[in-house]
Amino acid sequence: MKTWHWVLLGILAALSLIVELAVLYGHGHHWWSVIPGFYILWGFLGSLVLAYTSKWFGHTFLSRDKDYYEP
Amino acid sequence: MSLESPLLPALIMIFGTILIGLLPSLLRSFTFILLPLISLACLWSQPSVSNLSLVFGTIFTLVASLGGVYAWHLNDRLQQMAALLYAGAAVGVVLVKDFYSLFIFWELMAIGSTYLIWARKTPESAQTGMRYLLNHIFGGGLLFAGILLHVHQTGSTALQALPDNFDLSSLLILAGVALNTAIPPLHAWLPDAYPKATLTGSVFMSAFTTKSAVYVLMILFPGWDMLVGLGVLMTLYGVAYAILANDIRSILSYHIISQVGYMVTGVGIGTQLALNGAAAHAFCHILYKSLLFMGAGTIIHATGKSKLTELGGLASSLRLPLFLYMIGAVSISGFPLFNGFTSKSLIIASAGEAHYEWTLLLLLLASTGTFLSVGLKLPIFTWLGTAKTPHTVKTLPQGMLVAMSITSLLCFLFGVYPSLLYRFLPYPVTYQPYTVYHLVETTQILLFTFLGFWLLRKKLVGEDSLVLDVDWFYRKSGKYFKYVFVDFTAFIFSQVALTVHKITDASILYFNRKDNNTSASIYTVSAGTLLLLALLGLAFFK
Repeated sequence: MKTWHWVLLGILAALSLIVELAVLYGHGHHWWSVIPGFYILWGFLGSLVLAYTSKWFGHTFLSRDKDYYEP
Repeated sequence: MSLESPLLPALIMIFGTILIGLLPSLLRSFTFILLPLISLACLWSQPSVSNLSLVFGTIFTLVASLGGVYAWHLNDRLQQMAALLYAGAAVGVVLVKDFYSLFIFWELMAIGSTYLIWARKTPESAQTGMRYLLNHIFGGGLLFAGILLHVHQTGSTALQALPDNFDLSSLLILAGVALNTAIPPLHAWLPDAYPKATLTGSVFMSAFTTKSAVYVLMILFPGWDMLVGLGVLMTLYGVAYAILANDIRSILSYHIISQVGYMVTGVGIGTQLALNGAAAHAFCHILYKSLLFMGAGTIIHATGKSKLTELGGLASSLRLPLFLYMIGAVSISGFPLFNGFTSKSLIIASAGEAHYEWTLLLLLLASTGTFLSVGLKLPIFTWLGTAKTPHTVKTLPQGMLVAMSITSLLCFLFGVYPSLLYRFLPYPVTYQPYTVYHLVETTQILLFTFLGFWLLRKKLVGEDSLVLDVDWFYRKSGKYFKYVFVDFTAFIFSQVALTVHKITDASILYFNRKDNNTSASIYTVSAGTLLLLALLGLAFFK
């Protein structure tokens, strides 16, 4: 990742947050509509939780040697 | 046969199987592409086809033709015949009006698709194909038992919505259809088989079996509440296993389960918006998923490798496949301008509209996992970085790239002009995907999923291990089943046969002997006969 990639991502994130607060805030009809930047949190925490949980579950219970089913 | 026969589009492809079996290689490839297009034209000329059948029939014929372009280089008569039979049977499933016809096309699909695994011609694919076939025989058995019971109870063979009252016939039919839909715990055949099918075979398989089953769910089980929970489970189950998977086609296979989960959720919600969403998402999913399998196929064709732990460093040598794969990846991840954005959102919006708020949030959570695995993990560890093992890169057949290019264009087209699809959905559509709310929501989720991936990228590298799934139950217990039902039974029968043989020999010897010891031989024959009768009696009365 080059610096300009991060800058671009930062601009997009800031823009989405500005639009959310200026246009959308207070107009949603879900319980989470009052939480500013909720989808930022959901995307970020969701990806971390999915990755960690899956890997932990996989390593703890499901991973076997690749020849496990060989007779 | 009248041109207005509702099953004609399917029959063109099924009987076309015989035609392409007789043609020489080049003409066979050409005819393979042409026949589904003739079916498509025929489908659109049918006056009595419902919008739902039209949507599914259109995408099935279209993707069969695109699969034919992808497989242009293929010179395998039986595999091409099996693929066309499979596609034609899938078209049949979405056109039939009665249970018995459904069952016939259902089984034809199983036959055609099984050969697409066996056609890989490796010991592994031979075993996998047998497991796949047994799974589908089991599913077909459940379906047929349910059909017989249903017809016995109602006297009707018509395919129509079943009441949500959990009677045995409905549950048997649901279980049979759930197996083809890959609803856990009846899903394990899918990630077991698709990565081991031929490269062109997995493109076909990604399109037909699960989506034809979604069609049947939409007809028979709309609004069944339990499907909402099962659908959400599928979305997360597929995503979780894809994070663990190392084989690129395993990752894509688990994401079929995840994406079909959205459709199953839509069927469970059962509102007009949700059912429209299920149909639209099946249509769009077939396009981008076949594109993704085509992309994975180019990697395996070019390098002979399929594991993230063996790949890497292919961006310069396989640049165009990477670009085309990424169109499929951003489509499945729901990027604006691509078809996943315009179809998945119908289902998510329908969950919100029906006040399934946690369902909505969990579907959004699953979509982060989709981007994580298909949009980031797979392409980054396959194409970028340095090669993890040395490999040479073979030139790709032009047909593969042409098919991927056309499919990519379609993903873009239905992303930019969703009304092209929306107007043919079963119910009128007022939903607008391109709203400020939806764009902000999607942008934030995707951006911060990327951030999450970037932070965990070292943790998410492929690991060369086997990950247990529920197929463990029948794969590990298989040898015991074989011992009890095959080996032991064979032993008993062989012992009976041997005894009969001995008695016959003894009898012949006795009657042929001139100076025999009558009393001793009579005892032998009598004892043998009694033993034989006892064994036969035992076998009979058991």
